[in-house]
Amino acid sequence: MKSRSKVIMLIVASVILVVWSVLTIIPMYWMLIGSVQDTKSAASFIPKMIPDVLSVAPYERFFGKTNVMRWLFNSLLISTILTVTNVFLASLAGYAFAKLKFPGNKAVFWVLLSTMMIPAQVTLIPLYILMIDVFDLGNTYTAILLPGIVSVGNIFLMKQYMSSLPTSLIHAARIDACGEFGIFWKVILPMAKPGLAVLAIFTFVASWNDFFWPFLVTNSAEMRTIQVGLASFVYADTTDFGALMAGATVAALPMMILFFSLQRYFLQGITIGAVKG
Amino acid sequence: MARVEFRNIRKEFVDDNKGTFTAVAGSDFVIHDKEFVVFVGPSGCGKTTSLRMIAGLERQTSGDILIGDRVVNNLHPKDRDIAMVFQDYALYPHMTIRENLSFGLKNLKKPKEYIEQKVSQAASILGLESMIDRKPRELSGGQRQRVAVGRAIVRDPQVFLFDEPLSNLDAKLRVQMRVELSELHKRLEATIVYVTHDQVEAMTLGERIVVMNNGIIQQIASPTELYANPQNMFVAGFIGSPPMNFIDVHKEGNVLRMEGGEFVIPDSMAAALSKYENEHLILGMRPEHITGEDIPVISSLDYTYSTKVQVVEHLGSENLVYFRVGNRTVTAKVHPETTGYPGMEKTFIFNFDKVHFFDPETEQRIDW
Ligand SMILES: Nc1ncnc2c1ncn2[C@@H]1O[C@H](COP(=O)(O)OP(=O)(O)OP(=O)(O)O)[C@@H](O)[C@H]1O
Ligand SMILES: [Mg+2]
Repeated sequence: MKSRSKVIMLIVASVILVVWSVLTIIPMYWMLIGSVQDTKSAASFIPKMIPDVLSVAPYERFFGKTNVMRWLFNSLLISTILTVTNVFLASLAGYAFAKLKFPGNKAVFWVLLSTMMIPAQVTLIPLYILMIDVFDLGNTYTAILLPGIVSVGNIFLMKQYMSSLPTSLIHAARIDACGEFGIFWKVILPMAKPGLAVLAIFTFVASWNDFFWPFLVTNSAEMRTIQVGLASFVYADTTDFGALMAGATVAALPMMILFFSLQRYFLQGITIGAVKG
Repeated sequence: MARVEFRNIRKEFVDDNKGTFTAVAGSDFVIHDKEFVVFVGPSGCGKTTSLRMIAGLERQTSGDILIGDRVVNNLHPKDRDIAMVFQDYALYPHMTIRENLSFGLKNLKKPKEYIEQKVSQAASILGLESMIDRKPRELSGGQRQRVAVGRAIVRDPQVFLFDEPLSNLDAKLRVQMRVELSELHKRLEATIVYVTHDQVEAMTLGERIVVMNNGIIQQIASPTELYANPQNMFVAGFIGSPPMNFIDVHKEGNVLRMEGGEFVIPDSMAAALSKYENEHLILGMRPEHITGEDIPVISSLDYTYSTKVQVVEHLGSENLVYFRVGNRTVTAKVHPETTGYPGMEKTFIFNFDKVHFFDPETEQRIDW
């Protein structure tokens, strides 16, 4: 009886997963297939699912555009910097909130947390004014980077994660004459690797895909990120769909690489807590 | 010189919801150089807190702590010349055993050759050589335990602190490690402070035992002294297994009257208890001092008491016979061939040579 209901569960789960996978894969397939069909004309911008002729022309047009390499570089630079700062600062803050005793620990944490209740749209305009008018940082990397150096959400995530690490290790390290920063660097961070990997992927993907903020604070072509740059394939009266798909494919590559290189940690990170020990 | 001294140490935890909680309420003691002292007591009595205050991981609310001749109140753990072994071992999971052992010495910037020598020495003492390049997760519980001890040994500390180091091991391994720790103590000639809630561990390992309850030290004494002369009912009931029996008695002259019987005590004993004339007091007697009449252990001061047997447990080397006196269950540890079965009417011999009396109010022992 039991095994039968298990089988049914398994079938149901499999069906859901297959449907879900198909739904996820179709747009990616579409993007890929669209990037190798020369659908220059706006009339046929829905690509054939099984193309008759493959062409690299869209890629040529994409890379032929001025500044494309610069956009990719910008995106890579910004996403990398933001990933490093977020991983470092969020884990540092998360560790402090989770494991260190200092006056106001809880209060500061709750204040931080409450800022998450404010929707991003509300702070967008003040932030814009602050960056552009007050700090006069328009069209600079700093303007793109500064608001994203570390997010409260990531701090929260790291605090939760750090809380699950055994405190006795910190005490052991303290007795082992390890300095406070050494404890963080040599004991906590290595243990937190799965959590850091998840954080790194989330942050990288989010900043790589971010469109609105870089679009808002930059105005010269050289300062665009790839996501903003892609929009320039949409012309006033037509869209170069092939080149757009080619660009989107290229833009998706770093994320794929990142995910697959960190997937060991990533899967570990997601299942943490599921299996003890 | 590595004595450890507590001078009127208090530790209070302030909790936002529950208010102030006193974990240690005015501890005073001196642990001598090279002594093996065990802190024992029920869960939550403040053993770990006391140990962590010695280590410097927890700051006392008031009072002074001395290690050697230094007041260490404000010293960082690394400057106290102590090493600690944790209940969950607290090995660094991402480091090999070698790295675990050498981590502290590296942080202290010791020369490389010195570290290597210390690590291999500790590894050979503890039989860890063959697994020195493995990670902790590749070791068994007993081996991890040894690594944790090794990490303390390499430091050559003045004082070793152990917090329930054996509680995660199975019973057999625990006995084995107990012996090893005892030998280690002789070999290292160091002061050891050892926390456990297991009174057998305390009795076998400790040269002196500090019995605690509710943050208050109940008695500090050697195992034999603790067993023979417990200062109060808590110590009497905590040390010894099965625990000491307590029986309510009423004193009328030379007669101690209890439910279902009475003892006519000698004049000297009656005189010592004169304060309780016509009052209740509590008689304490260890199970081994109550025997069956058929195979008695005769002493100079024996009394008989007949009652109905409730339960008999056969342990092989001895039998435990349970019967009731008033509303208390009394345990007798008798010879394994003593007859007895539930419901049997049986006569027991109470050996009064080793009897204790306690004040029912203060629970303190009354000398006689
Ligand atoms: N950081 C803390 N904050 C609040 N209360 C604490 C803290 N640490 C310990 N306590 C309390 O202090 C008391 C003593 O704790 P302690 O850890 O010393 O007990 P213990 O004797 O070691 O017990 P066990 O045998 O369970 O380990 C307990 O009631 C515990 O709840
Ligand atoms: Mg404890």
